[in-house]
Formats: sequence, structure tokens, C-alpha cells
Amino acid sequence: MTITPAEMNGIRDKAAIVGIGETEFSWDSGRSELQLACEAIKAACDDAGISPHQIDGLVRYEMDSNNETLLVQSLGIQNLRHWECVSFGGGAGNAVVGHAAAAVAAGFCNYVVCFRAANLRSNVRLGQARGPDRIAAGQTAFATPWGNMAPAHQFGLFVRRYMHMSGATSQNFGWVAVTLREHASRNPRALRKDPITLDDHQNSRMVADPLHLLDICQENDGAAAIVLTTPDRAKDLRHADTLTLVEAAAQGSGPQNEGIIYRPDLAVAESVNTARDLWARARLGPSDMDALMFYDHFTPFCLLNLEAYGFVPFGEAKDFVEGGHNIRFDGMLPTNTHGGNHSEAYIHGLTHTQEAVRLIRGTSTAQPPNKTINRVLSCSSVAQLSAAVIVRRG
Amino acid sequence: MTQQEEPTVKSRPMVGPLEGIPLPDLEKLPDYERGFWEASHNRELRIQRCSDCKVFRHLPGPMCPHCHSLDYDWSKVSGQGVVYSFIIVRNPVHAAIREKDQVPYNVCLVELVEQQGLRVCSNVLNIAPEDIYIDMPVHVTFIPTADEPDVVLPLFVPT
Repeated sequence: MTITPAEMNGIRDKAAIVGIGETEFSWDSGRSELQLACEAIKAACDDAGISPHQIDGLVRYEMDSNNETLLVQSLGIQNLRHWECVSFGGGAGNAVVGHAAAAVAAGFCNYVVCFRAANLRSNVRLGQARGPDRIAAGQTAFATPWGNMAPAHQFGLFVRRYMHMSGATSQNFGWVAVTLREHASRNPRALRKDPITLDDHQNSRMVADPLHLLDICQENDGAAAIVLTTPDRAKDLRHADTLTLVEAAAQGSGPQNEGIIYRPDLAVAESVNTARDLWARARLGPSDMDALMFYDHFTPFCLLNLEAYGFVPFGEAKDFVEGGHNIRFDGMLPTNTHGGNHSEAYIHGLTHTQEAVRLIRGTSTAQPPNKTINRVLSCSSVAQLSAAVIVRRG
Repeated sequence: MTQQEEPTVKSRPMVGPLEGIPLPDLEKLPDYERGFWEASHNRELRIQRCSDCKVFRHLPGPMCPHCHSLDYDWSKVSGQGVVYSFIIVRNPVHAAIREKDQVPYNVCLVELVEQQGLRVCSNVLNIAPEDIYIDMPVHVTFIPTADEPDVVLPLFVPT
């Protein structure tokens, strides 16, 4: 496959993230997904210092129930000039930000909003099997009859193979869980704030061996939103003193990703493709990153990300995360300083980009001490479709 | 850091298909999926194979992803393979699994000997799930589901 030329990075520094906002995260929001979307988008506009009337672009998740007309109606948008939706859930995280930056860079719209709003606990839970009594066709027909019917099952098959090939153990994953929970304990937005120990992780219920309960992300209600505009417009807005620019973005699938478990090598994530394109476009490498936001639907994928994006060679992430020191907020590579999907909330990755912005602004509740955060990588290894974005201090 | 200690109490082996969970609707399957289930009904494991370039594929689909031919046949395979990966499901995520007390059960990804990377999802029977390991040799067997006797699942047993 041809490497995307670095000179093709048409979005470099052409869009700024000017507003972030969210609802509270809960087990039962008690309100509609439309209301959650409106509240989060209004909060992001307030943070930016614009009115929702000024929004003229929307980039949403395909899985989101709130379509464009509902939001034009509810937010009082005067003319939506540009809209897109990006497929899937975790695979759309970060991708929506890249798409929004591209829309701004192309001049399609002035103020574009990315959002995700869902009652993923009080309504349909992604971790539970559902659907009709009979399967019409497709990959589920070749999985469900044998009891392979939840994300923890598909990803568990991936993780077992990864452990076999890399030598990683459940205890290595436990250090990710312990560290992310420590970060969440400092974050008032987080759903899970009680610190845990490695023993707590090891003694937590086995859900789908090798995955313990404390390897698995939350299922919760809530919404998050991000506003982007041009750097010129950003200079007139609330956060003009600390601009957060989108430096590069990439997405990737790799081959054979339908059904997740038929990929050529289940120990290597599809994101090796995404990472190669991202670094080429950014003309940067792992050593240029000050902090990391990893899509942590399952804790082992923090190890997979460290390897896929080249922070350590394959098989060495298990040593890198041991003890948690390297990935703690005060460590070499602060990772998921908000607590991630694991302990803050699961909003399909949008909260990770928000936290990257907080780190640039210096407003994280686990802000790395004695270190200025100039660049943050926010990325995923979903084992199906992945996306990444680099944001930098403007 | 050492591996977790091996559990001292082993779980009961699976002896047949899980019960009460969604099964394919054989009437509604496209042609390019139905052959798998028709073969299984006849106690044969047949995998879709491109008639032109002869490359096997699973998941089945309408077009060969290698040479883009639309022609395929259902090629009988030996049923021999090895466990490529596996999980032990201990938390029931479906009502029938919970109500019929069917955990723990295993889900295995079996790589068939006919072609590198050719894998099917299944269960391994007659072995405590704690004794399953990657690269374990297995071979196919067929058992009708209790819920729809016309739906026969290919399952695997240790060789």
C-alpha cells in the first residue's frame, strides 16, 4: 500500500477546537437522547463563546439517533451548510473531529459541531445480546449460534490471541485499569471514582475470560460535543489565548474487518495502517507527543495502541505499562488523564478528544505537573475501523 | 509478572449446542451463505471457495475478494484444524443463557488446515474450558440445535 504523502495533509492547522461541552454522565439520564444532544452542544457553544444559531455544520455518529433536521429544529440553526455522519461507534471517535476539521479547511462551513448523545445504559445496552429470535443473514449468523454475541466476546478472542503472541498477561491489563481509575478519582465528571488495586482487578468477576469486569468500559447515559472553526475566527472567541489546532488526522480499516475476528492477524490491530498515515501526514512521530488519549473500550487496547502507533515495539507494551508509572498523569506518557471509557464515561471516544483539549489548555483535573502539553495524540485501535487525530497548542 | 494461577476447580465440558439463542433463518439467507448451512445439515463441513482462483473464504460473500470472480462452489473440507483463539464466557449476556444456566461456555476460533487464516467460529466440546489452549488440534462434529432441528451446527472436539 502506498504511504500517503505528507504534503497531502490538507487540514494542517486550518481548524481550531474552540469549544467542548458535555452533560453529566449517569446510569439513567431520565431524558431523551435529543435533549442530551442539545444540552451538550449548547455547553460546547457556551465554552466557545458562540450561539448555537451560528452553527452551520454538523458531523455526527451514524449510530446516533439525533439526525440533522432534529438538531436544526431544536437548536435554531438558521442554515446548515454541511453535514456528515461517520459509520459505527468507536470507529467514528476522533474520525468525526478529522472530518469536521476538513469541512472547515475546505470552507464548507464556519462553525461545525461534532457530538455523540446516547442513553447506552437506560436504553439499549451494547454489551447485552439483542435482536430477533432468528437471524436473517450476515456475520452474526456465523457467530451468535455458538454464543459469540457481545463485544466482550469478539474482542476477547482478539485479546487472547494478542496475549499468546505478545506474552502480555491479565495483570498487565490490570495496571491500565488501576491507573485510569486513579485519574478518574481526580475527575468530578467521572462515573467511577473509587481507587482500585491490582488485586481488585484480578479478583473482579471474569466476564469473558481473558477479560475481567475491570477490563471493560462503562455502559452509561450522556452526551459530549466539540465546536471547531477557522483559526482566524478562533482569535475572536473565548479561548483565543490558548488555541487548540488540529494538526493531522487519519482513519484506517486494514483488510478483512467484517465480524472483527477474521482479520489476518488477531494480535495486530488495524490501526497500524492509521498510524502509518497519521505520522506521514503530520511529519511527526511518537517522540513528539506529550500525552495520549487511547480509546479504551477494553484495557488491553491501550497496550495495542502503544504498539500500533509505535511508542514501543510489538510485545513491549506489557513492560511499559507495568506499575502504571509511565502512563500516569505525572509519568513519561500521560494516558487518558480523564479516566477514559474505563472510569470516566463511555461516549464513543469523543470525551478523549475533549480531554486532549483540556490538556492543551492546562485545565485537566489530572494535569501533568512541571510539563507543558503542546501536542496530544487521540486515537483508537478498535480491531475493525480506527481513527486518530493530533491536536497541538496554537 | 507471572501468569494467573490455574483454577483448581474445572468447569463442566460443553456437550452440544447452546439452547434458546438466536439462530439463522435458513429461508432468508442469501445463496452465498446458504451452502454452509445445507452442508452442515448433511453433516458435512463445506467452505465457500472461488471457482476461478480456488481461494477459500469465510465469512462467505458474493464476490471473491482476491480475483473478484462471482463464481464459487461449496468445497468439502477435512474438518481438521487448530484452536486459533478462544474465550470462556462466564457472564451471560442473553436471557436464555442465564435462565438455562449455560455458563460457562467456550467460544473458539478454529483455523482449518486447508488454508492459512481460514477460520470458523465454533465451540469445542467434551473438554473443560480451562483445558483449551491455542494450537490445540480439533476436528469437526455435527449436532442439531434443540430449538430448530433443521439448523445443524458444526462443532469441534479435541483430536
